[in-house]
Amino acid sequence: MEFGNHLYREFEEAWEANNGYRLAATINPDLSAAQLGKIHQSIDPDSGNWKASQEDNVKGSIKRGLQSTSIRTRGFDNDEIKGWTDVYFAYWTVTGTLARARAQGPSSQVSLQLLWTEVFEQWKKFVNALVQGYNNYGFEAWTIPCLYVAGKYLRLFAMQADDERSKNPSENDSANAFQDDFDPETDKHQKLEDCARVLNRVFSVCLNDRAPLEESRKWGIYFIINLLFKTYFKLNSPSLSKNVLRILTAGRGDMPDFYSFPRSQQVTFKYHEGVLNFLEENYAEAEKHLTEAWGLCHKDAIRNKELILTYLVPCRLITTHTLPTEKLLEPYPRLQRLFLPLCRCIKKGELHAFDLALQEGEDEFVKRRIYLTLERGRDIALRNLLRKVFIAGGFMPAAEGEKPVRRTRIPVAEFAAAISLGSQERLDNDEVECLLANMIYKGLMKGYISREQGKVVLSKSGAFPGTGV
Amino acid sequence: MASTTTSQKPITTSDSKPEDPQQKPTAALEEDDEFEDFPVDDWEAEETEAAAGGTGTNTQHLWEESWDDDDTSDDFSNQLKEELKKVEAARKR
Repeated sequence: MEFGNHLYREFEEAWEANNGYRLAATINPDLSAAQLGKIHQSIDPDSGNWKASQEDNVKGSIKRGLQSTSIRTRGFDNDEIKGWTDVYFAYWTVTGTLARARAQGPSSQVSLQLLWTEVFEQWKKFVNALVQGYNNYGFEAWTIPCLYVAGKYLRLFAMQADDERSKNPSENDSANAFQDDFDPETDKHQKLEDCARVLNRVFSVCLNDRAPLEESRKWGIYFIINLLFKTYFKLNSPSLSKNVLRILTAGRGDMPDFYSFPRSQQVTFKYHEGVLNFLEENYAEAEKHLTEAWGLCHKDAIRNKELILTYLVPCRLITTHTLPTEKLLEPYPRLQRLFLPLCRCIKKGELHAFDLALQEGEDEFVKRRIYLTLERGRDIALRNLLRKVFIAGGFMPAAEGEKPVRRTRIPVAEFAAAISLGSQERLDNDEVECLLANMIYKGLMKGYISREQGKVVLSKSGAFPGTGV
Repeated sequence: MASTTTSQKPITTSDSKPEDPQQKPTAALEEDDEFEDFPVDDWEAEETEAAAGGTGTNTQHLWEESWDDDDTSDDFSNQLKEELKKVEAARKR
């Protein structure tokens, strides 16, 4: 919105209604180059006192505008005016640069000037002005949607700045490359790392509010946490999110109930909490959070549902040994390609085909950080194969009137033959016994190996627990 | 000997090249690997996946057991039966 009466009336009305989203709309940077240009031109930095600096002139103009509002008499005090003047001045500054950056086109293009870097640095000042407002100038809690806009675009601008820099290597960078402590990975995400630090400050602003809950900035906490999660994941250090979770757990008593937050925030939080646990191999916890994210997710958010399933499917393979039905994966061709070949092999107990399918998808699995988890599905494939051997063994002749009992003494050689079936690779007897012992140890098969007889003696009641035989 | 090992090297590098175009689409997938912002902030319980699934939070029907009892006539099962018969026969001999 251009600076002028219209903006200050809007500010006044948002303030009176305590409508944070309406207020946040006045500092929205998601506008076209032309719109941004207009906003920037709506204050002439050279009008006013000719002796004063441009900055003072612009601030003076904004301050007069805010002072002209009728809310002056209703508690909108000088401190707040000072704070909001700084915020709007910072916003005005960004609009000029952002207009040029947007007019220049996508950040991928080579440019002499690193405009997106400048946009990021200026937007960072804007975010800091807001943080100052809460810390020093008594900004009220209902205005926190402004922090949402601030944080959301800080991250986006940081990524664009990093992207722009990677495509415009400067002489400066090549000089850096010769330094001993130069780390190209860190440099790649220089601005995003900076962004994480600023977001942490915003997080504190929300967390350390001692006001009663109904007018607390704590209502902003999950929005900001989600931004932090996304940032840490992008920085390839998801484990940093653990600190956030620890702080959150410690302060939970004074926090609004999680389920009173908007569902979009609940789902995003649960997804990341689930993936974090997944990466730490806490599969039971991961399943709990991911299942919750799945249930709460908006039914039309296909891409997000797809992401949840990307982790929930391998997770459930470990926790409950279950597989997704084709119906579940039907709307997600990408997941079908990812999981169905493996699922088929697991179900049929085709061990060798499983190994091939795992190899086939390795790059993709590694990229999604699910390779190691899926690899553990081999145990289930093996269990199913051994189970087939057991079932193929048929029944012992039963005594009159008694229920037939399956043959429970199975020669190791039969298992060995089954295991080698796909690969045509003969395994040593020792190797086969080792595999079988592992199955027994993991509780996937019940029984013992009788070495003298070269047989496995399986339990008469539930040789393969949980599978009905 | 040394000359044969060096002459083999270029072959392996040229072998890996044709794979490059195939890897590009996966790299493109990675770009949007991030959990997306929802177009709306909040929604009613009826609009959740749990409600759309029709069974509340119970998603059991979307998951199935990992073993397969129904299909014992497929190629692999037949092969397995043949193989087991061979083992049996060898033991009896």
